[in-house]
Amino acid sequence: MNDLSSPSHAAHIDLDKTDQAIIDLLRQDGRMPYRAIARALDVAENTVRARVRRMEESGTMRVVAVTDIEAAGYDMLLAIGVQVEGRSPEAVARELAAIAEVFSVNLVVGAQDIEILVVAQDQAALNKLISDKLGAIPGVRRLTPALALEVLKNQPDWVPFHAA
Amino acid sequence: MRRKLDQADRAIVERLSRDARVSNREIAEQLGVTEGTVRGRIKRMEEEKLIRLTAVTNIDRFKDAALAYIWIEVERSGQTRAVAARLAGITELGFVGVMLGRADILAITMVRNAEHLAEFIHQRISVVEGVRGTRSTLGVNFIKHDYRMARIVS
Repeated sequence: MNDLSSPSHAAHIDLDKTDQAIIDLLRQDGRMPYRAIARALDVAENTVRARVRRMEESGTMRVVAVTDIEAAGYDMLLAIGVQVEGRSPEAVARELAAIAEVFSVNLVVGAQDIEILVVAQDQAALNKLISDKLGAIPGVRRLTPALALEVLKNQPDWVPFHAA
Repeated sequence: MRRKLDQADRAIVERLSRDARVSNREIAEQLGVTEGTVRGRIKRMEEEKLIRLTAVTNIDRFKDAALAYIWIEVERSGQTRAVAARLAGITELGFVGVMLGRADILAITMVRNAEHLAEFIHQRISVVEGVRGTRSTLGVNFIKHDYRMARIVS
């Protein structure tokens, strides 16, 4: 992902080089022992422990399990543009976000009002999801879907925590 | 096609999806299985790329960070997968997928603003061999991203 940790952002988040180095190591192996991190960065183990705790408690970083969507039982992934009519896009987006299969929701500007990423177990489940759930939300005028035939890369390292 | 997680896997992953640094012993105690079972299953799921234990950072804590969707059309349809493979090598892209409908390829990245997006497309995407054109959409409010779900490809 593009590097957003430029100086102009430092004031807002206040991550120093050590914090960033810890995050980089934990991205590669979320269960790397504190002692091994300390050794790799040449700092005290207590420092690593305190830094991780501070970043977790401030809601800046989390160490989590990401499950492959196919292993989770979903064989289809789609990117769907949503056009909204007669209702605020934000209200529609909040309703979309409440649906488990809709795993990403982003308000956008342009031809679409909302961009979502959704998963479905199979074609029948997808059909139901689109007509009965997404299409039935008040304010949803039109859904413009694209099916992912192959995902070559997917590293959602930067995400909002509040709705996940 | 990848193996689907069974019920015991799912119980372990459910615990890890909230805090992946929780000890195997604690998970074992909660689920009433042995520590060895937990260790073995986690190891196998990681090796088979069914799960990834990793750090995620909160975009809400960063100013001026927006998600950009870049829809890419290739010169000839037969080039689609080769172009997608080249794009996947660009570190700034968090998602690259070959699509059916809307465009040939979808690439997603994080940018600071519209100028940053324009510069990124001009310097990094348009120059990729086989890229005919792009359309992009800039997010104004990132409402949800369930970090528990992804395609694990590397």
